[in-house]
Amino acid sequence: MNGFLEYVPGDSLLHRLNPMAKIAFAVLFAIACFCTSNLIFLAAMLVLGIALAASCKMMRPALGLMKAVLAFSVILAVLLLLTNPSGDVLVELPWGYVGTGSVLAALTTILRLEAAAIPLFLAFYVTKLTDLSNAAVKVLHVPYKYAFTFASTVHFIPVFMNDMAAIMEAQTARGVEFDQGGIVKKVRLMVPLCVPLLVSSVRKTNSAAIAAEVRGFDLRTRESGYKAYPLTVADVAVLVLAVALLAAAILLQVL
Amino acid sequence: MIHIQDFTFRYRESERPVVEGVTLDIPAGVFAGITGAAGSGKSTLTYAMNGIIPHCYPGDFYGTVTVDGVDTCTATLTDLSRAVGSVCQDIDSQIVTSIVEDEVLYGLENFGVPHDRIEARVTEALEAMGIADLRERAIASLSGGQKQKVAIASVLALHPKVLVLDEPTAELDPASSRQVFELLAAYARDNGTTVVVVEQKIALLSEFADVLIIVDGGRIRFAAPPREVLAHSEELLELGVNCPRSTTLMNRLANAGLYTGPVCCDVREASEALLEVVA
Repeated sequence: MNGFLEYVPGDSLLHRLNPMAKIAFAVLFAIACFCTSNLIFLAAMLVLGIALAASCKMMRPALGLMKAVLAFSVILAVLLLLTNPSGDVLVELPWGYVGTGSVLAALTTILRLEAAAIPLFLAFYVTKLTDLSNAAVKVLHVPYKYAFTFASTVHFIPVFMNDMAAIMEAQTARGVEFDQGGIVKKVRLMVPLCVPLLVSSVRKTNSAAIAAEVRGFDLRTRESGYKAYPLTVADVAVLVLAVALLAAAILLQVL
Repeated sequence: MIHIQDFTFRYRESERPVVEGVTLDIPAGVFAGITGAAGSGKSTLTYAMNGIIPHCYPGDFYGTVTVDGVDTCTATLTDLSRAVGSVCQDIDSQIVTSIVEDEVLYGLENFGVPHDRIEARVTEALEAMGIADLRERAIASLSGGQKQKVAIASVLALHPKVLVLDEPTAELDPASSRQVFELLAAYARDNGTTVVVVEQKIALLSEFADVLIIVDGGRIRFAAPPREVLAHSEELLELGVNCPRSTTLMNRLANAGLYTGPVCCDVREASEALLEVVA
């Protein structure tokens, strides 16, 4: 697996789609997941998400994401179980009860979060960051400065993570025991390291700004971008599918 | 091409000038190498040439610096960048995109190079640095040397008249450092580009540079062809600049009256001269 939000090369349909179509599909897909509580529909959305991951050979990273989302959604699900008494009583609690409705709500939350996360995750990993920002400028008319800021932020995350790792290694070599004790102790040891990280980050950001400026950043216009991002038949089909999914989700909820 | 007259610069946060009373002329098409001890003002001198000083680092600026006839104080940094390509010391900070091709495209797009010429420019720059095969690669997956070449290629694609590089081989092994210099020298020769390189590896400078500039305490102590500068190996040592060992050896033999030939700049010249001495 590559670094955080680092492009995974490939030639799948998802890779070849227009960046804006990918993002729009992922966002509409996620909205559709949040528009319905129909378990079967959500399960189908999850299967579709997994199929999309398989189609671009991203199964392993997608499973990693699902594991992370599961950990988070289980916490939410437990909270729902304990605080949302509905349906037939299954377990009595001092402040209420866990009912069949509570279990369904908890399951819905887990499925919804899992299903909604996958396409968003895929969209970022199968799209070059530059394509994403350039397409946003060309297609959505987003000002280049904002698109560049977003792209630069994501670009520098792994750089800063490497810096933090280097600072921690240097401290470990001087006897700081990051591997001993619990998470609280580790966080307490890491807090002072934020100062050198901040200093190096500011320095790097300043250098990057100068580097961009000496390569004509201020001259950039919407027309400057070399690559074109036309909507193809496949892009339109994907967008239609996303709208259909959203409509289906709303209908299932309303009916 | 680069004309510096009585240039003095003090950073706002410094008490003393970092560069003081520098006067220097670098003609068009010359490969100039700058070296000196750490903190001697080498990088500040390059910042003055590419306009980063005074446009990005505030301070007291005295004298004049003109590049391709343009005063760096009156022109904007963007205007200067049309003539001067810069590669800074920290490559990770200089790289603004994630893919090699996008990095080379970046400047071309910004400067509004006609789209029908962009593809040729990208290919030419990548080939000039010998990294055409890395075009689709993620920059994060490249080695330090490859990143360095990407950074240089992204500047070469802009066809600058002047190329200013601050320690372009700082993180490279000797073989990669030499390769970068060979590629740079070949490109500059073929295109008539003026090159200014700050470099600690004096052996490389003495081999590739037309002019070797030694900076000490913010002042220029020597600015002459490498052979002339290297004749002062003992003075250079006092300034914190180590000459190539072969040069130092032959200079000592010359001082002892055992060798009367020209200053040797590299091992090959020294070995040939030694053979003559022994014979």
